[in-house]
Amino acid sequence: MTEVKAELVGSVWKVKTQVGAQVAEEDELLILESMKMEIPVTAPRAGTVKEVRVKEGEVVKEGQVLVVLE
Amino acid sequence: MTFWSANRIRPVENEYGKLVGELHARRKKNLAMGGAEKIDKQHQRGKLTVRERIGLLFDQGTFVELGLLAHQQPVRGGESDPDGTPADGVVTGHGDVDGRQVWVIAYDFTVMAGSMGAVGEQFKAARVRELALRYRKPIVWLLDSAGARIQEAAGSTFAGSGWLFADQVVGARLVKAATGEDVTDHEMGGSQVHCYESGVGDNEVADDVECIAMVRRFLSYLPSSNTEQPPLVVTGDPPDRLVDGLDKIVPVNPRSAYDVRKVVKAVFDQESWFELKPTWAKNIVVGFARAGGQSVGVVANQPMQKGGALDSDAADKAARFIRMCDAFNIPLVYLMDVPGFMVGSQVEKEGIIRHGAKMLYATSEATVPKVTVIMRKAYGAGYYVMNGKGYQPDTIVAWPFAEISVMGPEGAVNIIFNKQVEAAEDPTATRAQLIETIRAQITPYLAAGWAMIDDVIDPVETRRVIIKGIEQARDKKIDRPWRKHGNIPV
Repeated sequence: MTEVKAELVGSVWKVKTQVGAQVAEEDELLILESMKMEIPVTAPRAGTVKEVRVKEGEVVKEGQVLVVLE
Repeated sequence: MTFWSANRIRPVENEYGKLVGELHARRKKNLAMGGAEKIDKQHQRGKLTVRERIGLLFDQGTFVELGLLAHQQPVRGGESDPDGTPADGVVTGHGDVDGRQVWVIAYDFTVMAGSMGAVGEQFKAARVRELALRYRKPIVWLLDSAGARIQEAAGSTFAGSGWLFADQVVGARLVKAATGEDVTDHEMGGSQVHCYESGVGDNEVADDVECIAMVRRFLSYLPSSNTEQPPLVVTGDPPDRLVDGLDKIVPVNPRSAYDVRKVVKAVFDQESWFELKPTWAKNIVVGFARAGGQSVGVVANQPMQKGGALDSDAADKAARFIRMCDAFNIPLVYLMDVPGFMVGSQVEKEGIIRHGAKMLYATSEATVPKVTVIMRKAYGAGYYVMNGKGYQPDTIVAWPFAEISVMGPEGAVNIIFNKQVEAAEDPTATRAQLIETIRAQITPYLAAGWAMIDDVIDPVETRRVIIKGIEQARDKKIDRPWRKHGNIPV
């Protein structure tokens, strides 16, 4: 199981995956918006999306778990 | 002095021959390091012996050893083991790296675990430091050592012995004794900690061979000392080459990310990019490259990481690199695409102002040629620390889609026109309209119209402009008023 965490404070701009989806390494899982930038959050490894813990528009903290892969 | 080929003289059966023979026997014994068994163990750990490392470090046949015949001496009436301590566990001398003299202090783990003894430190390493300073040459330290030989350092005469603790990494047992914390040695000094978390290490390598190749490459960008210019290298990449492919690397939309290292590789001489600290504070990219054969230090914002926003670690990383370049006469090139410093309660608690000030200090104090290319965003204090106009760039240019502003248009509208937007019949449309109005005011043509920047350039011209900018500043000499020293914002 791999927890994908936010690397900085921001809001969730777009969620681009869903529970059950198969993802490859480097696939975009969601996009954060922070510091006037759209910041892609990518899968650190291939796997299946087990949980998506955030919704679009939600503000996340640095280190907060966004997606869980297995 | 001992050369590698010392064993070729044949002993003769007379007094002369015997005396010379003894010398060769002593050399042979010490060249054998800690013996076959210890050498096997070293190899089994995936490590090379100290002499194999030195063989890789220097150009073939150039190593000259000093102190081969040294060994442990009794310290303060203690015991010593002359036979068991060939060269006192440290190999010292000099050789050539790409034809330039470099000195070495290399610990031999097969001799008392490479521990640092009195002879090895006070006499052998000290000799290297003395001579390298006299000739203004670099020293490479190859550390593979258990640390200080405590038995030769313990006691109150430790007061006189700064030499012994100069370059030590603290081990787990020492931490346990000092604070009670349970840690492993790897947690204390491993590359995982120092190359990914602490930022102490520059580059992680897989093995000894890669490490020494990297040391040689690192030296190739530097002068032998701060009294010289870095070496010019013939790279064969034309200085006036137009840069292809930037349109496919850099999105015009300032909100979209890209990997700035692709820009660096496209702009500078082919195969010349040497990144430092690539796995730490990844939101800023620093490293050496060559521009028409000239060594340069590149400082580039990385939109792929944290949107390229600067934080404490990024500022520290950049500050240290900028000062290294300035110390060794290496021109600086800033590739700017920065949304500013990170904002928020967390970074304030970290003291981001204190850390950001280091980068500002380094940039403002640097007297080497400095070229700034504003690729896209140049917002707020990020613009200053990335060598904006106020920090005396020798050349400062912008790409056509650059945005130079105290903040981005969206943020500016939120602050300046908040009431106007709220009062509007259609707040969304009004906001969008105001954003566009501000966007028109932050184009590079405004700054170029005031001649606040030197030019707006087609991105394909970037390489040529950088090389010309460095050439233009070749005779730069800045004399500042005397002061005892500055107060670096540590």
